[in-house]
Amino acid sequence: MDASELEVTARMARLSLSEQEREKLRTAVEQMLAHFSHMREVDVEGLAPTTHALLKENRLRDDVESRSVAAEALLENAPEREERFIVVPNVL
Amino acid sequence: MNWNGVAASSKAAQKWKAHVEARDREVGAFLQFDPALGGKDSAASGPLAGVPFAVKDNIAVRGFRLTCGSRMLEKFVSPYTATAVRRLQDAGAVVAGKTNLDEFGMGSSTENSALRETRNPWDPTRVPGGSSGGSAAAVASGLAAFGLGSDTGGSVRQPAAFCGVYGLKPTWGAVSRFGLVAYASSLECIGVMSKTVDLAETVFSVMRGQDPMDHSSLPWQPPAQKKRPWKIGVPRECAEVPMHPDVKKSFEATRALLKKLGHDVREVSFPTLDHVVSSYYVIATAEASANLARFDGVRYGHRTPRSETPEAMTVASRTEGLGPEVKLRILLGTYVLRSGFQEEYYLRAQKVRTAIRQDFQKAFEGVDLVLMPVYPVPPFARGSAEADPFSQKLADIFTCAANLAGLPAMSFPATVESGLPIGMQFLAPPFAEDLLFSACREVEKVFPSPDAPGFPGGWA
Repeated sequence: MDASELEVTARMARLSLSEQEREKLRTAVEQMLAHFSHMREVDVEGLAPTTHALLKENRLRDDVESRSVAAEALLENAPEREERFIVVPNVL
Repeated sequence: MNWNGVAASSKAAQKWKAHVEARDREVGAFLQFDPALGGKDSAASGPLAGVPFAVKDNIAVRGFRLTCGSRMLEKFVSPYTATAVRRLQDAGAVVAGKTNLDEFGMGSSTENSALRETRNPWDPTRVPGGSSGGSAAAVASGLAAFGLGSDTGGSVRQPAAFCGVYGLKPTWGAVSRFGLVAYASSLECIGVMSKTVDLAETVFSVMRGQDPMDHSSLPWQPPAQKKRPWKIGVPRECAEVPMHPDVKKSFEATRALLKKLGHDVREVSFPTLDHVVSSYYVIATAEASANLARFDGVRYGHRTPRSETPEAMTVASRTEGLGPEVKLRILLGTYVLRSGFQEEYYLRAQKVRTAIRQDFQKAFEGVDLVLMPVYPVPPFARGSAEADPFSQKLADIFTCAANLAGLPAMSFPATVESGLPIGMQFLAPPFAEDLLFSACREVEKVFPSPDAPGFPGGWA
């Protein structure tokens, strides 16, 4: 994995890396990717991918109104707010 | 030790709180200790009345902080309580406080916490294991009767083993994950650590069962209990994994003990063992990259003080708020999901996961339980080079298999070697937790959880 690949990946992950971090992380990612490549030795011909080991179906609740967590308690954790609005830097 | 009513009775409570205050200065298990706050939401009676417990700080308890060991959530206060915790509160148990962990549950030593250092109660120069190291250390040093943790790749069983206590990772879906901060949703479970098998069993029986708040939770559906003597399988591939002599010795002693107790200990084949770490880290980091995308500095969590645009705000907030191991896993997960690489990594890892499940299915056609060590080395020194982040990941080989297959597994203290506890684990078919308790109890009768130095005698 070269430096530009790391940069593209970091941008997708919304992270900005310092010069020092970049080298360290690139080495660590490469080490893991090299380890992952051994999976090529497993014969996976005809095997379906597992997303969940035990979950068989999607379970839906009845479409009825119900109360969730109090909105006010959730808003109290907002970094910056004006009444019931969360403030962010100008979008336009 | 009797913990009933300790959080409620004023005389016992005083003794217990004095012990916590003195002992936790060295151990560093708690990020927040506030049994008075915890007690407000607990029932006055029930099977766990007045029993204080420790909650890993990635599990929500109303009114307590929920830091996940991260700068990102250092000041976050939870507006609600996880279902697993609420069920315990309804049974009378009292939240004593929130415990330290590797940031977002990512690590095996609790050294990845951005907020506090936690030490092993057996030897303060060593790590307590991780990522649920705070809860394990709290239980092993008598700061709480039991501890909740989360196990994504071994994060309950490994610290339990490092601290000399029991650690249950339930069947995936058996305990609701509502209120557990998501890291790798298809792998993680809320589990319990305790000094006795009986207490772990009581706690599990209170927590388990389907929950309307977690659509992936499953109804409790135990198979018929197997009669002893049991057929216990030991994967022959374990012999090829490099192991510390003390762990090897403990593993051999456990096999010998189980034979002596009349069980049929035999070899089974687990050909994919060599690939569980790869499959696990591809899947866990892929899911982490998606789950941790929610930390954007907008609605909650750390927000950078100055930024021109919402995009710049998100990038700076994440960059400042997340630690190096979390960044590594997010990058790795983002990479394996990128178009062009997905087939080679993510899709292949999911197919290997199927092969791993099939290995277990085959094994359980011939045996009732599988026995493996928990971790290839004993509790290691803090800040040690012998256990760099990469070798710590490789060392998840014995634990992460159960998470990939969704199986229940329970670690138990097997022996003490060179003054440090060594743990082994049983794995069982889905929903066969009762069999795990029975098997661990047989070992417990011969070798109960050993008390760490300074473990209190009682609260009377």
